[in-house]
Amino acid sequence: MSELDSANGAPLAEPLSKRRRVSDDGVDSSRRRYGSPDDQRDSDSSPDPKSSLRRLSIRQGRPPSRSRSRSRSSGVKEDDEKRKRYRSRSPTSSRSRSRSRTPRSQRSRSRSRSYSRSQSPPSRSRSRSPRSESRSRSRSRSRTRFRSRTRSSSSRRSRRLSPSAPQPPPTAALSGQQGHRAQRKEQPLRPHYRRRLELRGHAAAVSQVRISPDGRWIASASADGTAKIWDANTGAYLNTLVGHMAGVSCLAWGPGSDTLATGSDDKAIRLWDRVTASPAHACGDGGGRGHNRTIAVSRIGSNRSGGTARGGKSGRGPLLGHHNYVYCLAFSPKGNILASGSYDEAVFLWDVRAGRLMRSLPAHSDPVSGIDFCRDGTLVVSCSTDGLIRVWDTSTGQCLRTIVHEDNPPVTNVCFSPNGRFVLAFSLDNSIRLWDYVSGSVKKTYQGHKNSSFSIGGGFGALRDTDAGGGEEKNNTPNNGINDNHKNTRTQAFVVSASEDGDIVLWDVKSKEIVQRISHAHDGVCFWVDVHGSTMVSAGKDAIIKVYRHTTKATGKGKGKGKGKGGRKKEDKARILDGVNGNGLDGHAEESSITPLPAPADDAPQPQAHAKPDEDSPDRVVKEEVEE
Amino acid sequence: MNLLLSDDYLLQDYPEHITNTIRSGHSTCVRFNRRGDYLASGRVDGTVVIWDLETMGVARKLRGHSKNISSLSWSRCGRYLLSACQGWKAILWDLQDGKRYREVRFRAPVYGAELHPWNHHQFAAALFEEQPLLVDVTNEDDVRHVLPSVQKRTNTETDVALKEKQAKEDAKHMTTAIVYTASGDHLLAATTKGRLNIIDAKTREIIYSEKIAAGIITTLRLTESGKEILVNAQDRIIRTFHIPDLSSPDLDPDTIQIPLEHKFQDVVNRLSWNHVAFSSTGEYVAASTYNNHELYIWERGHGSLVRMLEGPKEEQGVIEWHPHKALLAACGLETGRINIWSVTSPQKWSALAPDFVEVEENVEYIEKEDEFDIHPHEEIQKRRLDQEDEDVDVLGVANGDDADGFRMPILYNLGESDSEEEFVNVSLGTLRRKSPGDEGDGEGTGEEKAPPKKPAARGRKKK
Repeated sequence: MSELDSANGAPLAEPLSKRRRVSDDGVDSSRRRYGSPDDQRDSDSSPDPKSSLRRLSIRQGRPPSRSRSRSRSSGVKEDDEKRKRYRSRSPTSSRSRSRSRTPRSQRSRSRSRSYSRSQSPPSRSRSRSPRSESRSRSRSRSRTRFRSRTRSSSSRRSRRLSPSAPQPPPTAALSGQQGHRAQRKEQPLRPHYRRRLELRGHAAAVSQVRISPDGRWIASASADGTAKIWDANTGAYLNTLVGHMAGVSCLAWGPGSDTLATGSDDKAIRLWDRVTASPAHACGDGGGRGHNRTIAVSRIGSNRSGGTARGGKSGRGPLLGHHNYVYCLAFSPKGNILASGSYDEAVFLWDVRAGRLMRSLPAHSDPVSGIDFCRDGTLVVSCSTDGLIRVWDTSTGQCLRTIVHEDNPPVTNVCFSPNGRFVLAFSLDNSIRLWDYVSGSVKKTYQGHKNSSFSIGGGFGALRDTDAGGGEEKNNTPNNGINDNHKNTRTQAFVVSASEDGDIVLWDVKSKEIVQRISHAHDGVCFWVDVHGSTMVSAGKDAIIKVYRHTTKATGKGKGKGKGKGGRKKEDKARILDGVNGNGLDGHAEESSITPLPAPADDAPQPQAHAKPDEDSPDRVVKEEVEE
Repeated sequence: MNLLLSDDYLLQDYPEHITNTIRSGHSTCVRFNRRGDYLASGRVDGTVVIWDLETMGVARKLRGHSKNISSLSWSRCGRYLLSACQGWKAILWDLQDGKRYREVRFRAPVYGAELHPWNHHQFAAALFEEQPLLVDVTNEDDVRHVLPSVQKRTNTETDVALKEKQAKEDAKHMTTAIVYTASGDHLLAATTKGRLNIIDAKTREIIYSEKIAAGIITTLRLTESGKEILVNAQDRIIRTFHIPDLSSPDLDPDTIQIPLEHKFQDVVNRLSWNHVAFSSTGEYVAASTYNNHELYIWERGHGSLVRMLEGPKEEQGVIEWHPHKALLAACGLETGRINIWSVTSPQKWSALAPDFVEVEENVEYIEKEDEFDIHPHEEIQKRRLDQEDEDVDVLGVANGDDADGFRMPILYNLGESDSEEEFVNVSLGTLRRKSPGDEGDGEGTGEEKAPPKKPAARGRKKK
């Protein structure tokens, strides 16, 4: 994906940096991030060449970038020794790299080039840059190098982790909490998500996956430059949204679930009609010719951004205006405003109807990594790898509040709580913090997942007693279906996040304890998790999307309904087991026992849902559970 | 939600300067919906345009009238909009699909039609040279009831001549404006003779009538609470009255009193007023002036003039005050632009970093005892985590927060929906057919640049 900047041609003023990869993974991250290239090479000494050839991920391969600038921020609870080492180094290197091309960073670039050439030719070939050869090439190459490095290291890590150390440190903490858990076990509201479907079809890592507000559809954005729409119930593949010229890093559902917005490394935002899979503005011009279209300069756009911000003619093309990769998107609850955050460090508010840039907020001093609207649409929150979280007034465009954690870790994702009263911020110190943005204080810190280099996603989920059956959603309200909590039903909120070791972790909002861990949900990094009622969906670097459903332990209803008696029995047994061992173990056991579905050839042109239609899937599920 | 963070409540609660100008054709009347996120405007060509105030863009266009729109009225839920035009008809629109829900034809041009505050299937209409009507459109075939303009004579005298004279007089007595009270049980009607009638909506009889102005009453406006009424008459005086609670069970029609509260006028310039509006709370009264460019704003507590709003050099027609913000919208009579006056709060610098504080004067910094103490990182971390024992509620929503309700669908193809031919004035006397879709230059729909002379306005828009 990262090559795409070169596709855009225009050499950009700042050092181009790539994707969510904000630093390297795990242990070595800090050192690599700030260290000199030599260090990086050393630490990289055993890249797995194969893996580097595989696929490009959106979220990674980020070269030394400005985001690093807040050096002291990063890994809080990682290997301390390493951290110290990097700290001693960081002040100088991080700054110089972040801001400008100092001689030093030049050097690093050139070096990386040579490295990458030998390392991963295929990715180089992908950089289609007719213009601005030299510069962008070198850049993309350097990124390539990073990519390969990350891939190798992460795969190494995951390999290391899964067989020998099934329980990473966080799980240990988890087992410590088992006492509590046993007491609380009776609670029917404890999330218990079970893997149900596996959706394959993307040719590259999936950067974001989101369930539509009505809970019926799943949309996934991938580094292969497409977004796909799936049926959340059956897992059936419905549509591919083709048009972006580079990897798609973000997407957002309109509140009516009929519209999708995707943002890409080609700097464009596109609006899609879910049903037709064509641009939502009628007579859309496919192919993204928008770049050449300088004629239709909208009045307002030209006002504000020197003529570069143009929403297409009457908004029928893509929304153009960002000067760099579009990295995060959010629809206002009414659907009339689209907020976008970009590597150009600005937050744009778009008038969706007219496809016009309404307001551009000079939001951050680093790529804007996350954005969200509060439930009444009056506030926008944005975060950046500069460590700031800012709350904006939608109507005036003014900054109302800035939140920074003392350690100033890069913040890579942010969202409002369902009631809009709190902000959940994912930062690269392996922590997720719940902020009260009014008082500016941290209310909760959720730890136990791994997040030190990618901007991974997650959010809030809520389970009601009535959700116990799993499966069909009755609530058609937006906001993840969380908001229509009826007075007489009990609602339990949890926080869910992806983890860089491929896990999915769920915490109780209040007690901060891990209530469920789905181990090894993905090979490599799990990038994104989204929850809507009893449905959860995750995606990762392995280009696979997985769908989970919540099932109560008492009754295996929902998807399991069609199961034979034997299946149910086994399932119960499995659950008892799970009660003994804790969910982390359970998830892991389940995972390891599943016979992997036949993977499609990587270059399969036609995406296919491996999930079978509704009537079939129970069988498959049964199979899975029996094998437990 | 933003109210938690902004101290906009510290700002003055009446508009200060012009902040936006929006235009779609030639608008003659505007109306905010109850929630205040949409503004409906009626154009001389009969098109009704719904503006989204958040984006200042067109949300919907409704075509069905062919004559000047004379009045607009939103239903409480915001889904239905009643538009009345001088072409003898009124249309109740369903904004879910933008289609006509009901259409009612009259035998005369409509002055104004107002929906029942709680029931969108009922409305009252004041007609030109006709008696007002109460219309029920629950069924496809509307049911109309004629409302009286004159109170029934109680002195049933035998003198035939006098009776005839009275009848003649009554025939000239027309209703020019009619509004529902807050409960919808009564109607307040104003007549050409300067009388205010209170009509029981059930019996459709006048229960109270009083002459309150010397000339024709042109506008009646109620506050949201329904306790005050604003009357604009052609005698160049704007009056406010207190309205008693007409819905109370022990209401005796004979004891009703409508006490006069204020009279607003410009005795120096002898101005007459085009249109008047209450502020959101009823605390202020705004009026557009006849043959003059300014908008006047009076404060109702003392009855004093607080502000004369200057805008473009243009006479303003219909004005509307936003239902809960200090924001005024007015239609320019000449150009048909909708001008919006508002207040802009300055960016607070303290919001830009958590440790910024805005201070009035220099403050000596006193170092805290433990400020530079060094603690091991882990310890700090642990202490922090231990402190997070507060109970948080991420789901519960405060009552009265109605995010649910009618939500207007977002249209992406407004250009195409203008399939009907539309002509635009290219220059004096030349018309050009508007080709669908070229919004940009064709019709000039959308937010316009504020005049360059207004730096404040531009500054705000740029943000």
